Amino acid sequence: MKYFLYGGCSLEAGGKNYMVSLEPVCKALGMELEEIEDWNCCGASISYAGANELSIMTLNARNIAIAESTGGYDIVAPCSSCYIQLLKTNHELKEDEELRNKINVILKEGNLNFKGSLNVRHLMDVLYNDAGIDKIKSKTVKSLNGLKVAGYVGCQTVRPYGEYDSVERPKVHDQLLKAIGADPVPFPKKMQCCGSGIFLTELDRCLGLVKEILEDAIANGAQIISTVCPMCALNLEMYQDKVNAKFGTSFNMPVVYLTQLMAVAFGMDLKSEAALDYCVIPPEGIIKAAIGG
Amino acid sequence: MAGNGNYDPSFAKEVFENVDSGEEIKMCMQCGICAGSCPLRHEMDYPPRQIFTLIRAGRRDEVMNSRAIKLCTSCYRCKVRCPRGIPVIDVMHGLAHYGIKKGIIPRKGTAAFGGEFWKMIYNIGRIDEKTLPLKYNLLEGLVPGIKSTLEMAPMGIQMFLHHRMKLLPERKIKGIKDLKKMLDKAKEMGKGGAS
Repeated sequence: MKYFLYGGCSLEAGGKNYMVSLEPVCKALGMELEEIEDWNCCGASISYAGANELSIMTLNARNIAIAESTGGYDIVAPCSSCYIQLLKTNHELKEDEELRNKINVILKEGNLNFKGSLNVRHLMDVLYNDAGIDKIKSKTVKSLNGLKVAGYVGCQTVRPYGEYDSVERPKVHDQLLKAIGADPVPFPKKMQCCGSGIFLTELDRCLGLVKEILEDAIANGAQIISTVCPMCALNLEMYQDKVNAKFGTSFNMPVVYLTQLMAVAFGMDLKSEAALDYCVIPPEGIIKAAIGG
Repeated sequence: MAGNGNYDPSFAKEVFENVDSGEEIKMCMQCGICAGSCPLRHEMDYPPRQIFTLIRAGRRDEVMNSRAIKLCTSCYRCKVRCPRGIPVIDVMHGLAHYGIKKGIIPRKGTAAFGGEFWKMIYNIGRIDEKTLPLKYNLLEGLVPGIKSTLEMAPMGIQMFLHHRMKLLPERKIKGIKDLKKMLDKAKEMGKGGAS
């Protein structure tokens, strides 16, 4: 199974633990990832302040067109924000011929052309539907032994298209957690937005969102939160101090990427492969207690 | 910029012609599910449903100066739930972008941050997570900028200590010249043109 990888800007910086852990996990599952050459930023959720729809679409059409010109595999995006930007462009350009022609006039400036021959997929989609639960189970040598995990889905991971999971009651994240021996807790706020791209500029308004998500996870017995989006991970982990200062709470909840938990379950190195030391709120104690070592 | 409150029948037309996805509001039947689904509805002066009605009523100043159009977190819940299939988020982003283009900036922080974000993409093709917040903070002026940066510093230091900060400055992508040409063209060809 070969794919194009669109890692995006965050996975090289704030979301580095996602990249470090997903690479060996995908390899173990027989997935070969090839980076899209000379990719550019997807525009994320905030570019509308500086650019029109067509410009943001151009960013994503360029990345897809480069992939199309070099091979015929699906594009995998682990970051939910990159995923939705690429997917939206791919959908709209495939469906709307007039728009596609317009974009191709623009792409011609760089001798590129959008054909619409590839699919854009989230990493969770590929893990669940291509690698599959059975294979993930078979690779699990250190079960997480019922570790109580809040499988936070967030927004753009499945919304708006619902390509591989329900947009209202998603189950894929929890299924993947179960496959590695964890016990995903029921977690009504798993779909509540964390504030995403406006977190920094609307701090006072977004801290409350994070507080509600953390409270819900804890009230349902979670010991740790699993995410699949660098924006969610950043907001949920790095702002706990500010939430505590604002609301008088005392949250100290570890937040990891699903692929970090998978790397642990696959018996990989806790640092160089599971990247647990990249987490600011240390998850090692809870995880080691679960796997017994 | 405060409005005179007069009915302005041309505003809906202005929105249809100039705002990305603006024509989509024609489908709105005022059910309010967008408002009920929004995570920041309690912070908005007008929820999306009301914004759409105000556009139809020609209340330009209220719409363009509303803080609602800048508080969208892009969570897509309104879009998936709208029974008429309106991409509510795209309309809100379109309105915000149009307002900024016209110099109407009700939420300065988000507009400034988004503006810097876009400038960085245009100039190097990627986002440098460590310099972007600095640039954004310094837009407030040197003294408040340093103050904001110090407030954020503990977080930055933690990220650095946990290998989550890319130390080298982000370099331009190889195809930056072509990307700029494409983006210039996209700006010109977009709704309402480049101006």
